[in-house]
Amino acid sequence: MLRCTARNRLISRGTIASAILIGILFATSCTGRAKKYPLRGNVLSKNPATNEITVKHEDIPGFMPAMTMPYKVKDPAVVQELQPGDVIAAEVVTANNGSDYWLEDVRITDQSARQSAKAAVAVHRLDVGEQVPNIPLTNQDGKSFRLGDFRGKALLITFIYTRCPMPTFCPRLSGQFAKIQGDLSKTPDEFAKTHLVTISFDPKYDTPPVLRKYGLAYLDDKPAGFSHWDFASTNPSDLRKLADAFGLEYFEEDNQISHTMDIVLISPEGKIVKYWATEWTTAELEDALRGQAKAGKTNERRQTQKRAG
Amino acid sequence: MIRLAQSGCLGVTVIMLALMLVGCSSNESAQRGQELFDLHCALCHEGSTPDLKKQPPRLDHLFAAKQLPSGAPATDAQVRKTIVEGLRTMPAFDKRLSEQDLKDLIAYLRTLR
Repeated sequence: MLRCTARNRLISRGTIASAILIGILFATSCTGRAKKYPLRGNVLSKNPATNEITVKHEDIPGFMPAMTMPYKVKDPAVVQELQPGDVIAAEVVTANNGSDYWLEDVRITDQSARQSAKAAVAVHRLDVGEQVPNIPLTNQDGKSFRLGDFRGKALLITFIYTRCPMPTFCPRLSGQFAKIQGDLSKTPDEFAKTHLVTISFDPKYDTPPVLRKYGLAYLDDKPAGFSHWDFASTNPSDLRKLADAFGLEYFEEDNQISHTMDIVLISPEGKIVKYWATEWTTAELEDALRGQAKAGKTNERRQTQKRAG
Repeated sequence: MIRLAQSGCLGVTVIMLALMLVGCSSNESAQRGQELFDLHCALCHEGSTPDLKKQPPRLDHLFAAKQLPSGAPATDAQVRKTIVEGLRTMPAFDKRLSEQDLKDLIAYLRTLR
């Protein structure tokens, strides 16, 4: 019996040792991951005035999925050196929980596609003062309309897709438009003289019911808000024409749409007033829209006086 | 008795090895889920982007409560539905995540207690 107990103790010790060994093996085999933000991608365009490049990049684990987006570059000389088509490697440096980010340590790894990329980005963006393209769109209720239908109203247009997971892209744009919508509703005169249009990059997925559901989330579930803010899509070929007209780049890959950003202000006369593509604030957009609404009212009054005279 | 003890020891070792394999597998799933979370979810749920209509909730204790922040029951099926279909201003991840991705993501969210 005693022998048995002693033997059992030995076995127990063996079991504990096995358990510790297994525990160590378990711990060492299933842990360990370092966070890094290396970027690899293709330069699509550059803007030396704002020190930015637009890069179509691969997944950046821990930061964001594969995407096309503009990045500030710390060293202005690097922007001068880079050309569309260059394949680069760089470090994404982030601050403020990822809401501020820029590129450092940019290295060109392949220059062979420079020339062809230059040709590919040669899209003519409409100039300020040109007429807004009158391309047919379909809104969240399935109703057809054109951007030219809003004569007499100042128009603020932007592009999103409802499945966009990047908080600094589409959700931010829609959040800003929702704030502008809410602010304008407090001044009925300007509310009546303005309109918002959000156009989807993803007509295949963003059907009218999807856009309606998306829009209602930004309109606090009040469908009346659609009378001042349309969520629209169009067929792929018209979408391409519209995007080219506003200088937007986008393409679909793995059910995700990589795109650049653009907000366009249209005057009550249907002419392009201003583009915002890289930096803006909600207040800046709202002030510009209100300014156009007021200018439109003044012009309207002058014309009425002329007719009366 | 010795035979019983030996077989008991063997049994414990086999069970522990099995637990290790299952545990390691679920841990690896959660680890893959964390990578997916960092890539697709963390920017909204762990950051503080200005100008959003509503700041997305942190998901630290998602499964610790009986209900999700939306008020729906805290079940795998409900979390899966929210990820796939989106909810309010949260975008749908429909067709962008595989079934295995969704399982891994949920396995990771379950570790956030």
